[in-house]
Amino acid sequence: MSQEINSTNQNPAGDLLVVENLTTTFQTARGALPAVGGVSFRLGANEILGVVGESGSGKTVLSRTIMGLQPRTNVEVGGSVLLDGHQIVGATDEDLRDIWGTKVAMIFQDPMTSLNPVTKIGKQIGESLQVRLGMNKAEAKARVIELLTLVGIPSPEERYDAYPTQLSGGMRQRVMIAIALACNPTLLLADEPTTGLDVTIQAQILNLLDELQLKMKMSVILVTHDLGVVATRTDRIIVMYAGRIVEMGTTKEVFRNHKMPYTRALLESTPRVSNPSHTRLQTIPGRPPNLLKLTEGCAFAPRCSRATEKCSQERPTLEPTGVDGHYFACWNPLEDQAAPVSIQTGTIKEIGEDNVRG
Amino acid sequence: MLKYFTKRLVALVLIITAISIGSFYMIHLLPGDLATVILGSGNTPENKKKLFAQLGLDKGLVHQYLTWMSHVLRGDLGKSYITNESINTSIAKALPIDLEMIVVSQIVAFAAAIPLAMKAAKKPNGLFDRISNGVTFGLLSVPSFIIVVYLVLIIAIKWQVPGTGPASFTRFPEWSWLFSDTGTFFTTLKDNLMSLLIPSLTLSIGSFVVYFRVLRSDLIATLQEEYITMARSKGLSRRRIMWRHAFRPSSVALLGTAGINIGGLIAGGFVVQYLLSIPGLGSLLIASITLQDYLVIQSTVFVVAVAVIVINFAVDFITTLVDPRIARD
Repeated sequence: MSQEINSTNQNPAGDLLVVENLTTTFQTARGALPAVGGVSFRLGANEILGVVGESGSGKTVLSRTIMGLQPRTNVEVGGSVLLDGHQIVGATDEDLRDIWGTKVAMIFQDPMTSLNPVTKIGKQIGESLQVRLGMNKAEAKARVIELLTLVGIPSPEERYDAYPTQLSGGMRQRVMIAIALACNPTLLLADEPTTGLDVTIQAQILNLLDELQLKMKMSVILVTHDLGVVATRTDRIIVMYAGRIVEMGTTKEVFRNHKMPYTRALLESTPRVSNPSHTRLQTIPGRPPNLLKLTEGCAFAPRCSRATEKCSQERPTLEPTGVDGHYFACWNPLEDQAAPVSIQTGTIKEIGEDNVRG
Repeated sequence: MLKYFTKRLVALVLIITAISIGSFYMIHLLPGDLATVILGSGNTPENKKKLFAQLGLDKGLVHQYLTWMSHVLRGDLGKSYITNESINTSIAKALPIDLEMIVVSQIVAFAAAIPLAMKAAKKPNGLFDRISNGVTFGLLSVPSFIIVVYLVLIIAIKWQVPGTGPASFTRFPEWSWLFSDTGTFFTTLKDNLMSLLIPSLTLSIGSFVVYFRVLRSDLIATLQEEYITMARSKGLSRRRIMWRHAFRPSSVALLGTAGINIGGLIAGGFVVQYLLSIPGLGSLLIASITLQDYLVIQSTVFVVAVAVIVINFAVDFITTLVDPRIARD
């Protein structure tokens, strides 16, 4: 898998991040759990990459492993992650400390639990400024107030002394963003940055991220289960299922010409404004597979309307579609779609039969 | 914050009042006759009546209580019926001994428990964690009167550490190193600390075991928190993460435990005091109970109870500094 991508996507000069055949396996009491099962992709400078998939598809573990932030016990990481020349796989916390915060930073999923509850937010943001950038107290405080203003927190001087519990969810997520941006990282990993927030706040936070990405010239990996979130904000998309990439391409290609039935299913389970009201939302039947019991075949096969005998016996590899940078892993790919995905009520099976030509 | 403390302060006053009533009335629940104790064979009804009139015990209970309280509030705990010694003086002699034992033992206990708990929590179920867990669990089940005997055997008798022998306890501090006119400040301080070594060590082992276990398990839980991963992602050192990000949120239960524990050590160190004949509050209490010296019992219990409450109030205050969420709701 990794060779194919290397051969067709040779662009080492512009790549900030090169991930090759990355695996993250948790040793659990019930056996080895391959949370990330061989992922390869590249990310250019200033690029925004969306990583989508259901809960449990390995998105969060992937983003943490890319940063080297996975737990240190009972985990095995294989493959390679080169971030601006730094090998992340196999590095210790001590090795990575130099690039954490300054080269790569993360916005965590849940602003309720990711901020230290007993430390003032100003201190939490300023800490890396003092420890990592060697600012003194006054410099750090001035910079923190700048950062708070940058992420749109009103009356930043007062908020400097607030504890996380005194702020709303949206405000806390802004604080998280300020922490992540404090040391001007070149790569920002945003792990479901809006999941815990209500919809209007979600849009604000995402717009803020867009704006800051332009301003600060960062590459961003935006991890989400919500395709609506990535549609207008990313250059490229990776669709993950059961710890593997099942489709990857430019955002436009993936939305218009997706090949993988799972991508289709994800798209159809996203509500759209253009739908008539009371349109029933699609769901994907079944559950994500138990990663402890993965079979030889395609992990999506049990839930897939197009599954054949082959699907349950042999795992499809990522194949190029011919359109540059667009890959998919499916034995029975969807045909080219002239029109965007239509939304109907009913199950995936019906859609599979009615909607897909061929 | 202010509202929280006003509320706590009101509660404090109410509790102390309740305790004063309790410790006053407790005496009247005890069997035995004060007149027999004081008058001995001269306990005739006539003498008894005279005695009670003299001591004010012929008045009603409410009157007696209010008389006692009005003296207590003016800082006068009264006099022993039996030795006629001022209770203020007895307590002033005994209390510093308790305080010094507590302060020294708590410093030792915290100084040992915090770094060791951190080391154990770094790798839960690692070798160090399992050993320290096993040892502290073992120590937890050894009562202080066993520990103290072993410490005397080892330190004072086997190693012959000077100044720690049994003779040292009876000439125990009274803060003599502060007021003594014999010897220099440091030699008397050294004497003082040496005589304190075994009893303080005994108390500190008991406290250490509890603090270690409480802090270790809280640290392990805290280190799993998402904000610790967040702190890692900032590129902070392990040491900084442990002290700045894990220790503080983990120390709330530790503080609560310490409050209860220290409260228990005031006079609660009496087993150790009794075994080593240390003239602290515990010894004073035991002696007065044996003599049925009612007013001394009553006043000592009251002073101890007030001390326990004040300490816990102080601990609550520190806790709100450590975790400001507590005072807010």
